[in-house]
Amino acid sequence: MKELDPILHSQLRLSIVSLLIALKEAEFEYLKNESGASSGNLSVQLQKLREAGYIEIHKTFRNNYPLTTCRITEKGVCAFDLYVKNIRTYLNPRPKVN
Amino acid sequence: MENENLSPEQSLEIINQMVRRAQNNLSNNGFYFIFWGWLVFVTSILFYLLIEINCDNPWMVWMLMFAGCIYSIVHPFLLKRKNEEKAPRMKTYVETYLGYLWIAFGISLFIVLSMGFCLKEATYPVVIMLYGIGTFVSGGLLNFSPLKIGGACNFGISVLAFLVNFKIQILLLSLSLLISYIIPGHLLRNKFNNRKSP
Repeated sequence: MKELDPILHSQLRLSIVSLLIALKEAEFEYLKNESGASSGNLSVQLQKLREAGYIEIHKTFRNNYPLTTCRITEKGVCAFDLYVKNIRTYLNPRPKVN
Repeated sequence: MENENLSPEQSLEIINQMVRRAQNNLSNNGFYFIFWGWLVFVTSILFYLLIEINCDNPWMVWMLMFAGCIYSIVHPFLLKRKNEEKAPRMKTYVETYLGYLWIAFGISLFIVLSMGFCLKEATYPVVIMLYGIGTFVSGGLLNFSPLKIGGACNFGISVLAFLVNFKIQILLLSLSLLISYIIPGHLLRNKFNNRKSP
């Protein structure tokens, strides 16, 4: 069995990446509402994903308020694909021929 | 929420749930279909009536399209300002693809109308066909059947328009707008409003 990516194998980080995989980009507040996480926890997990190179975070301002926008990177897409593939091998283990 | 003891089933459930949530955000409220549908529908009917009463320069009525273009450009900025403090935003890939589609449609329409002197009586059938492409592909991207059906009907109407005279072509243009823009546009708006208020 292959080892699952520890960056993605966490409830909140997996939720964030799953949301971003289906979107072009999303604001911090959107991710917070959809994942049900607290602002503090979401910030920490977004930072971890960013450090792993799985997401990009853009900080700008809108009406003098900070605006954080996130989008998944190509590395993040590949990591997510591999994670899903590995999860499937856990669910449907196939005995090797030979 | 740091949970390293996720089972594979739980992981898959999270993925399914979140992807569904993200895809459930219908971002198109049908505004442009309704706006352009009614504007061109009313203008084409007026054009037909002005020809019927032998008015001088009936084509002047199409100048309304310039006003429509200006409003279409200004509208997203007005809407953005109005909604800025409302729901947090996300951007779907579908929005981007739709943007490119309608830019290509606008350019093609401009070329066809500018070359109307070459196309002559084939101009309106080609315009109807372009409407068909725009609405059919939009229907596919938004997975919205009324737009797909409306767009598909336009291809049939376009063929018919090649075979009839100019005045009937104008009425066929109105029919195509009713089928592919106005009705699906209002249905899309209903769907959007129902999603927004659970």
